Amino acid sequence: MNKELLKGNIAIAKAALNCGCNCYFGYPITPQTEIGEYLSKQMPANKLAYVCAESEIAAINMALGAASTGAKVMTSSSSCAVSLMQEAISYASSDELPIVIVNVMRAGPGQGYIFPSQGDYNQATIGGGNGDYKTIVLSPSSVQECIDLTYRAFYLAQKYRTPVILLADGLLGQMAEAAELTENPYPEIDNSNWRLDGAKNRPSREIHSLEPDQNKLNRHIVKLYQKYSAIEQNECDYEEYKTQDAEVIITAFGTMARYAKALCNHYRNKGVKIGLFRPKTLYPFPYKRLNELSQKAKIVIDIEMNMGQMLKDVRLAVLSNAQVAFIGKPVGDWLREEEMINAANNILKERYASI
Amino acid sequence: MIRNFIISGSGGQGVLSIGTILANIFMLSDKFVSFIPCYGAEMRGGAVNCEINASDEELLCIQNKEVDIVVALNQTSFDKFISKVKKNGTIIVNSSLAKINKTRDDIKYIFAPLTQEALKLGNIKTANSIALGILSKITDNFSIENVKKAYEKILKDKKDLIQKNIEAYFVGYNYIQER
Repeated sequence: MNKELLKGNIAIAKAALNCGCNCYFGYPITPQTEIGEYLSKQMPANKLAYVCAESEIAAINMALGAASTGAKVMTSSSSCAVSLMQEAISYASSDELPIVIVNVMRAGPGQGYIFPSQGDYNQATIGGGNGDYKTIVLSPSSVQECIDLTYRAFYLAQKYRTPVILLADGLLGQMAEAAELTENPYPEIDNSNWRLDGAKNRPSREIHSLEPDQNKLNRHIVKLYQKYSAIEQNECDYEEYKTQDAEVIITAFGTMARYAKALCNHYRNKGVKIGLFRPKTLYPFPYKRLNELSQKAKIVIDIEMNMGQMLKDVRLAVLSNAQVAFIGKPVGDWLREEEMINAANNILKERYASI
Repeated sequence: MIRNFIISGSGGQGVLSIGTILANIFMLSDKFVSFIPCYGAEMRGGAVNCEINASDEELLCIQNKEVDIVVALNQTSFDKFISKVKKNGTIIVNSSLAKINKTRDDIKYIFAPLTQEALKLGNIKTANSIALGILSKITDNFSIENVKKAYEKILKDKKDLIQKNIEAYFVGYNYIQER
């Protein structure tokens, strides 16, 4: 293996180039600026389009324009500035444009600060744009996954002609780990039947979300939802850790899931049958699998670096199968192992005298 | 076994450079490793630190309440990070820029005049590598080959500095032995 020490941000940028991203539009914001910084050197040198836009609104709309011509497009930003992109994400969903949007989360609400946080789960999975649409959301928890899921983000965007959000966090963006820049494992998707590349010798095409004919608009949205249904059917992805016999299931996403795994190890050593369920796709959320696991469980503890956003999806999956508890902290220093243990002890002590 | 380190100082002292080199040495030694930088808005003069974790197994907790070894390259970082040293852990202090003062009795201290030692080598900017040498001596039996590889990688755009820094690393490495 050919591993190198890579920052999460640089890993995302390298993977994007490696799988053929040929247009990047962005505007600097901590903690994701290294993505643009890296690409600003590499892309012009390789005759690829790099634009440092005048704002995030401009950047995402440039992305829409470029994607409509069939380019492989990425933009990246962070939390408060991804808020500015919500209108365009709604448009891109209706226009069926494959764009990859990287959100390296910082603290909110409002401007917040550059501390790491997982406060954009709702923004990413529910979306802040208007109308009926959904956005695929992928959640890496290591630098290696920043690479793997960037490849996947481009692939799914092209495959389903829909925007995909790669939801990382400030800790992952800034930290370096040993990772391998593997080959892109996904096939190229042919877009010659829809892209706008000049109508010479063929009938003209249009891409727009405006549709004054009620019936046509209804049909369009139903078609979008058939696509979402296929995505929900085919693309749920998750990691399970020691869930085989678990009576206690921890749910966590992104970097927080690593700390949650340490918590599992701590309680396994004390004889508690505990395991971790980590969704790698936040939309589509793996409801079915978590429901199955919760049928054998007594307690599900959701751990997040926010005030409980994935919690509602966990509850929807678990239903009344098991008790659902939450451990969280909104921003800043990541929940430390000892903080999690203190909080989890309070939840578990009634059932497990051994802890 | 998990080992963790904080390297701290001010911008321009090469805190992140030796942090990256240390992380690379661990990577080349086939360990799992994480490196997190932390700095203010200033490029020079502001406070800088980084945390490095190394383990034989997958690293789960990347930020820790306390660490095994702290390197403090100036007074401010000595004052700030002494509380982050684990019980029985070690703090390596640049005594050229920080007063020798033992406020805790449950940790080990290594005071070394890194800046003066670096000046003796003819380059003040190698104080960080002397600190890394001391840290290496009390941490692990790194292979010399991996240390050289890490320096060559990180300083690939400043080739003329590689030899001087490796020399400084060994001044640090042999520092404790000599005393």
